[in-house]
Amino acid sequence: MQYVADLNAAKTTGAAIEIDRVSHVYAGPEGGVPALSNVSMKVGAGRFIVIVGPSGCGKTSLLMMMAGLRDHTEGRIDVHGAPMPKPDPERVGVIFQEASLFPWLTTFDNIEFPLSLRGMSKDERRRKSQPMLQLVGLTGFGERYPHELSGGMKQRVSIARGLVQDPPVLLMDEPFAALDEQTRMTMGHELLRIWETTNKTVVFITHSLTEAVYLADEVYVMSPRPGRMIDHIMVDLPRPRTYEMMATDTFGRMRDRIWQQIRKSH
Amino acid sequence: MRRPDPKIVRWGILIALLVAWEVVPLTGLLPELFLPRLSKTLNVLWIDLDKYWNALLVTLYEVVLAMVIACGFGILAGTTIGGIAVLRDLLLPVFSSLYAIPIVILYPIFTAWFGIGSESKIMFAGIYGFFPVMLSTAAGIRTIDPQFLLAARSMGATVFQQITKVIIPASLPTVFGGLRIGGALAIIGVVVAEMLTASAGIGYLVTLNRTILDSPRVFAGILCILVLSVAYDIIARRLERRMVVWQSAGRRQQQTSPRPVSQGAPAPAAA
Amino acid sequence: MKYWHIILIRAAILALVLGAWELAPRWGLVNPMLLPPLSDVLVTLQIQLARPTVQEAILITALEVIVAFIIAVPIGAAAGVAIAEFPYAGAIFKPMLFYVFSIPKSIFLPMFILIFGIGFQQKVAYAAFTTAFVVLMSATAAVESVKSDYILVARSFGATPLQILRRVYVPSMMPVLLETLRISMIFNFTGVMIAEMYASRTGIGHLISNWGENFQMPQLFAGVIMLSVVAIAFNETVRYLEARCSTWRT
Repeated sequence: MQYVADLNAAKTTGAAIEIDRVSHVYAGPEGGVPALSNVSMKVGAGRFIVIVGPSGCGKTSLLMMMAGLRDHTEGRIDVHGAPMPKPDPERVGVIFQEASLFPWLTTFDNIEFPLSLRGMSKDERRRKSQPMLQLVGLTGFGERYPHELSGGMKQRVSIARGLVQDPPVLLMDEPFAALDEQTRMTMGHELLRIWETTNKTVVFITHSLTEAVYLADEVYVMSPRPGRMIDHIMVDLPRPRTYEMMATDTFGRMRDRIWQQIRKSH
Repeated sequence: MRRPDPKIVRWGILIALLVAWEVVPLTGLLPELFLPRLSKTLNVLWIDLDKYWNALLVTLYEVVLAMVIACGFGILAGTTIGGIAVLRDLLLPVFSSLYAIPIVILYPIFTAWFGIGSESKIMFAGIYGFFPVMLSTAAGIRTIDPQFLLAARSMGATVFQQITKVIIPASLPTVFGGLRIGGALAIIGVVVAEMLTASAGIGYLVTLNRTILDSPRVFAGILCILVLSVAYDIIARRLERRMVVWQSAGRRQQQTSPRPVSQGAPAPAAA
Repeated sequence: MKYWHIILIRAAILALVLGAWELAPRWGLVNPMLLPPLSDVLVTLQIQLARPTVQEAILITALEVIVAFIIAVPIGAAAGVAIAEFPYAGAIFKPMLFYVFSIPKSIFLPMFILIFGIGFQQKVAYAAFTTAFVVLMSATAAVESVKSDYILVARSFGATPLQILRRVYVPSMMPVLLETLRISMIFNFTGVMIAEMYASRTGIGHLISNWGENFQMPQLFAGVIMLSVVAIAFNETVRYLEARCSTWRT
């Protein structure tokens, strides 16, 4: 059992997220549709985890469950030692595929949105959002509206919004899928820089195998519906990662292994 | 050759129309009974200024109350129907079908029920404006991107916060568009009603002077209503733009093209 | 909710409304003078439809509606296409059209009466005038709805302007065209009604207005029912055709 061996080998310095035998069945018009089947994973604090899998394998559902945005039928999901029956932005920040910034708010107001929900004063909010804006490299763009920003900039704002309450865990659902290839590479690099300065635990979903290997400490591979974990790969490339690493044999072998797993599972 | 700025051409056309209004009757191409000179029209307007001003106040009073009815009930019904899926499937197509009825044929019922005073005008124009407000509010609520709500929930927004901080601002542009059209229809409804059966208001003055063939006073009334409706449109548009600043860039293109008539979108009035 | 459930509930709501209309006046909940029971109205409708004056009025109204429509559509469509196809004309006229839209067209009725009197011509002219604006607006939108990509593709394959018109514009505008015609007809009908109600010696609009003034409520409601049924039937028929034409458009 390659998969179990890898799981045990994971350097778990203390689990940030523990998923224990989670299954989920949707109520469809013609009875239940199994979406997830017996999924387990253990994410160490401060790790960068990437989940890949074919479309519709339930990886987004799994992420939504970790975020407390969706229920599951069976099993247990703990984030920092406690289940997530509903969203808890103090523990988990979520970043969506479309930047999902509110078009009627400026960059500042978008980043401060979760703080305003808590009724924090305007001055205090600005004190917290200002360094976030700087962190994502958008100083000076605080008063712009989303329609005045490029796709990459919108995702930067979205990341700042996810980080503003300083949650230990960041969940990212294909955040760069809508970006062009060059912006995507830059954003991946930026994300690693932000991750290294903030020490967050990241769970990142993507379709791109290159992106997966480039970003991850560990890659989980999921099967088509009902989604199961079929492989777990430790990416032992040194950090900080560089673009040159993509041309190495190690990188290629790992990407190839993921590709084979996905292909076999069909 | 460089073509002149469209804006200048537009002003040119407006001035040409005003000049033609003055000159054409003078040349005798059109008898003054059909088209009295602009100066004559302005002159009678000046002489009867009190009369027209009082009539305008009556019309405005009816229009404002009709707008309150149209917008209030329109937003209420639109939110309910747009927000609740069962009602939406059940009722929205029915309202679209009812929209085909020429509402003006209901006006005699209103005068029979409410008399020929202001009440019948307010009720009639209120219903006239109700439909576009209701339909666009329902559309505004229905077309909110579900991602917005998901994002707000992930940040811990309560149901109340989701309504006040996401659903309301997200539906504002569509709702404002509906309010603008609803308001325009309320004006149209009041004017039509006053012209048909009334004892006061600008529309009544127009009809009264028509029956005694006093053309300059008919055109003075027409001028009042033109100014009223164009002024309303300018103010409503400006207000709309200010309220939804964040949309201005995305909509600039739309603003120069006529509102496409599609999928149950409220069509404007012909009356 | 299943389709037939929706139909069933809608039928139930309709039955409820009609039932209330019948019973509320009979039970004295509302004044039967103001709202005659539905059955009385339907009986009146039957009697009215048998009267030659009413039949003649229907015929005249129908004729006015059709003639006005035939005049308004080509004029409005030509102007609309011109505005959509010539950007400079569009830049000049489109902003003006917004104002024209919010102006109550009925205030021009006195002009039409002064020029044409209160006969057939005046009603047709006024209705055509109001309808042409609606056709114009919808035609502009319809032309602009044709994706420039399609035209580019067609041109890259060497299509002539005539072929582009026939093979690209017409088919891709088909569903919008039907919608344009439907909405124009609704406004055309409204235009004729207003003109007839305002000043006329015949036509259904004139009859309705008369019945209202003379407080003949059963006749008035009979007229309203008849016109509503015609309008809804027309609207639904064209909408059905629209739906059939646009199956390929998702």
